[in-house]
Amino acid sequence: MQQLRTDLESRESIAAYLQAEFPSLENPGGLSPHVGGRSEGLVRLQQFPIQKYAKQRNFIDGAVSQLSPYLSRGCLELEEVRQWALQQSRSSSVEKFVAELAWRAFFHLVYEEEGDRIFQELEKPRVSLRNHARTLPDDIASGETGIPSMDTFIQRMKQTGYLHNHARMYLASYITHFRRIHWRTGADWMYGQLIDGDFASNHLSWQWVASSFSNKPYIFNRENLERYAGAVLPGDPRRNDPFNYSYEELAEQLFGGEYTPEPSRVSGNYR
Amino acid sequence: MPVLLWFNEDGLNPDHQIVQDYPDAPRVYVFDVPYLQQWQITQHRVQFIYESLLEIPDIQIYKGETVPILRQLVEQWQVQEVVTTATPNHLIKSWQQALQRFTKLTAYPEVYPVADTTSPRRFSRYWNKHDRVWLKP
Repeated sequence: MQQLRTDLESRESIAAYLQAEFPSLENPGGLSPHVGGRSEGLVRLQQFPIQKYAKQRNFIDGAVSQLSPYLSRGCLELEEVRQWALQQSRSSSVEKFVAELAWRAFFHLVYEEEGDRIFQELEKPRVSLRNHARTLPDDIASGETGIPSMDTFIQRMKQTGYLHNHARMYLASYITHFRRIHWRTGADWMYGQLIDGDFASNHLSWQWVASSFSNKPYIFNRENLERYAGAVLPGDPRRNDPFNYSYEELAEQLFGGEYTPEPSRVSGNYR
Repeated sequence: MPVLLWFNEDGLNPDHQIVQDYPDAPRVYVFDVPYLQQWQITQHRVQFIYESLLEIPDIQIYKGETVPILRQLVEQWQVQEVVTTATPNHLIKSWQQALQRFTKLTAYPEVYPVADTTSPRRFSRYWNKHDRVWLKP
């Protein structure tokens, strides 16, 4: 057994040391902007403009808390963040944020009850996943799909170890429904990429997208992507755009009539 | 020595109740190399965990296989009880269970505002049942 040193101070020296100590890890080629530690988490908590949350939370560049690394890794306790939120002026933003904390608890309760069964379909999926591939294509793993929006999300995730939740949903949907890769394969990959990787939130959310832990598969289209992510994305080419259809057309293409979206689906709210 | 504090990757709080309850106990973290390799954990997470550990005074950080390392420390230091934090992570739980063959282990549970830990299959049902408690300080 080997003991690691604890006297390193600069983030660069820590990165170099960890590369040497854990040579099998992929070198991400730079530092994540998300700095570990409870004190950083407390600063981020105090800086979170919670009253903007309701309006901005769906937007890729919106003012979300980015507390998930500190919550997943336990630097901050869920309960103390909830108490902090409830000290702010009560608003729909505060309630929405506390509901998101409750989602985290909900996922944990399901995982606590099901154990490693969350690694298989918890429910019969609403669309067929039987022939989905079990290996992740190289172009997805390296963020070179040729679709700039998807590549932007993948690159961001690889470079920082973090991604806005809505971007995670877009990626999970693209990988599962558009590329027909099995959700388990995508979930396992994403779990390893994330600083806040949490089996409960991650794998159950992928199942939610796939429709084995929800009433319908999650899909998105060009209009939705532009509305919520347009501000941060390079333009996708207009020709051969796999997303440039209505929900009804996409459902037909992707699921061949197995599933028909209700009109309310067009709202684009992902949760 | 009576107690050893064992931190896992889901409980890296230097102010956690386990530290407050056992302020003089040695503090240990193990980077489990097979786990990091099997799940291809990004170096970003390893660095985040490492930076978080540096905020725990007198932390001892090991790398290797979790259960053999902890077992060795338990024997070396004649530890009577390992105190740690609970997590639903089934891999960490299996290490906790394995350790219980060699020593007493206490895992402080996750704290939620709602005592009911049953999990309905839809968040909407959970929220409909418990929203008032969640929204009460």
